[in-house]
Amino acid sequence: MTAMQTAPSRMASPDHIARRHPGHLAALRWEIRKLRAQYRARTVLLVAVLAPVAIVVVIHGQSRPPKDTLFGRFAIDNGLALSLLVLGFASQWVLPLLTAVVAGDVFASEDQHGTWKTVLTRSTSRGRLFWAKTITACGFATLVLVLLAVSTIASSWLIVGHQPLIGLSGQTIPAGPAQLLVAQSWATMLPPVLAFTCLAILLSVWSRNPAVGIATPVVLGMVMQLVGALGGVETVRPFLVTTAFESWHGLFTDPQFSGPFLEGLLVSGGWCVASLATAFVLLRRRDITGG
Amino acid sequence: MRRIILVTLVAMVALVAVGTAVAAGGHGSSVTRARLERSLPVTFTNLYIEQARILGRDDLTPQSLHAEAMCDKHGPDVADVGPGGDWVCLMGWTDPKMPLPPEGYGKFELNVHSNDCYTVTGPSKIIGFLTITDPHGREVPNPVFEFDGCFDPNGDNANTGVTFPSLLTVTSTSVTPDDQGRVGLQVSCGAGSEGCSGTLTANAGGRDLGAWPYSLQEQSTGTLTMPTSVLDSTNEVSFQLRSATGVGPTSPVSLPVQRS
Repeated sequence: MTAMQTAPSRMASPDHIARRHPGHLAALRWEIRKLRAQYRARTVLLVAVLAPVAIVVVIHGQSRPPKDTLFGRFAIDNGLALSLLVLGFASQWVLPLLTAVVAGDVFASEDQHGTWKTVLTRSTSRGRLFWAKTITACGFATLVLVLLAVSTIASSWLIVGHQPLIGLSGQTIPAGPAQLLVAQSWATMLPPVLAFTCLAILLSVWSRNPAVGIATPVVLGMVMQLVGALGGVETVRPFLVTTAFESWHGLFTDPQFSGPFLEGLLVSGGWCVASLATAFVLLRRRDITGG
Repeated sequence: MRRIILVTLVAMVALVAVGTAVAAGGHGSSVTRARLERSLPVTFTNLYIEQARILGRDDLTPQSLHAEAMCDKHGPDVADVGPGGDWVCLMGWTDPKMPLPPEGYGKFELNVHSNDCYTVTGPSKIIGFLTITDPHGREVPNPVFEFDGCFDPNGDNANTGVTFPSLLTVTSTSVTPDDQGRVGLQVSCGAGSEGCSGTLTANAGGRDLGAWPYSLQEQSTGTLTMPTSVLDSTNEVSFQLRSATGVGPTSPVSLPVQRS
């Protein structure tokens, strides 16, 4: 708390009474500093960098390709296909988990340590704290996704190579353009990952329990995946966050299609706004005098 | 903690209830016959030309191949919409060096997923097996043996109008007379637009067994029993199928008589 305590001493004049609280940036800086000190967050970043390398090496060493996943049939000797195989696998539960490790904990840890009273009475408002924590969690999610993407693409490129890729309309895509499409595919994961981050924030605020905040988004992701794979419930399918994880398929067809990506963007945005609004209301109305 | 578990359970039950209600309400699947019939020939054409290129040929273009498909989900009584492993597509194309069988198409089995992607297994009799040998003698994977594709869920959904006739095949390898001395022929009518109908005639050792009109739904099997009995001394029956709808064997089918 030393960084925060220096702030009030500078505000001697009563004219600046409104600036008694530190600004948005100070709260954000403080949240990032707390995150950087967290052993768990560092582990997640390390896993995001190292796990793809191990997966790429293992799959490259297989004698039979994993044909049940899209691009799996080319994965053992085509690095671009292998990056997409890892992408498909990551979107099943890895990405929701990696983001929830921070987002599901960011509010609930204050409950766990009984620090709400301290942070709110001495340094900042609930609104500022809410946005600082939300921006930190979303920034962390983006960072994890970028690290995972870069590590996967680089290790597949170096270990397996970059050969021309057969697309989802049977067309042959030269290695250069295909590499760009692979990077774009990873980028399309960002909206649903952020939607899961917002969902984890809501669960973190509501449950006041880090375990619920971390585990429930992963379980919800799996339930959504299951519902999305069922025949007969296609009407709910577009409204699931996990559907947006598959919008990259349109990049690899000829002609390309972007309808699912735009739908996914809207749906992810909707989930995010709804989750954050609920979380904000819950936090504003909470009685924290009990500590 | 108990409250959390309770609320989670209620939320999940509500989700399942909403899902079931929606499922009962309508069938809004983006997986449709028309979209498959548009997507599959494009994917197949690209891969077939790739296969030809591996084999050292460069005489094919998508226009010259002119692939067309007719798709069907799970027999004639089921609506051709929705994901599943029971899609069948009949596809015809023109390759002067590798002509198709007389019926003019090959049968492809599709596993279509709810995410608008599909996995296809081709007829190995026509398109070859898992690997092919390239001009340098290397075994390389056959691109059309098994392949994946995806289609636009918002793509054109108008009827393509492509149809192929059903193929009638004889499945019996011998005939056994019943207690009245009559013989029956087992046949199967494959996927196609109108099923199989026509007339079956048979001849046993110079004795005409009469004519038997038949009519089978597509994707069904049946036993066609001749009205006239065969003599005890007969040891071979020759059948001749004349198709009115669908296609069948044009030459007579001779089957040995087996007595129990």
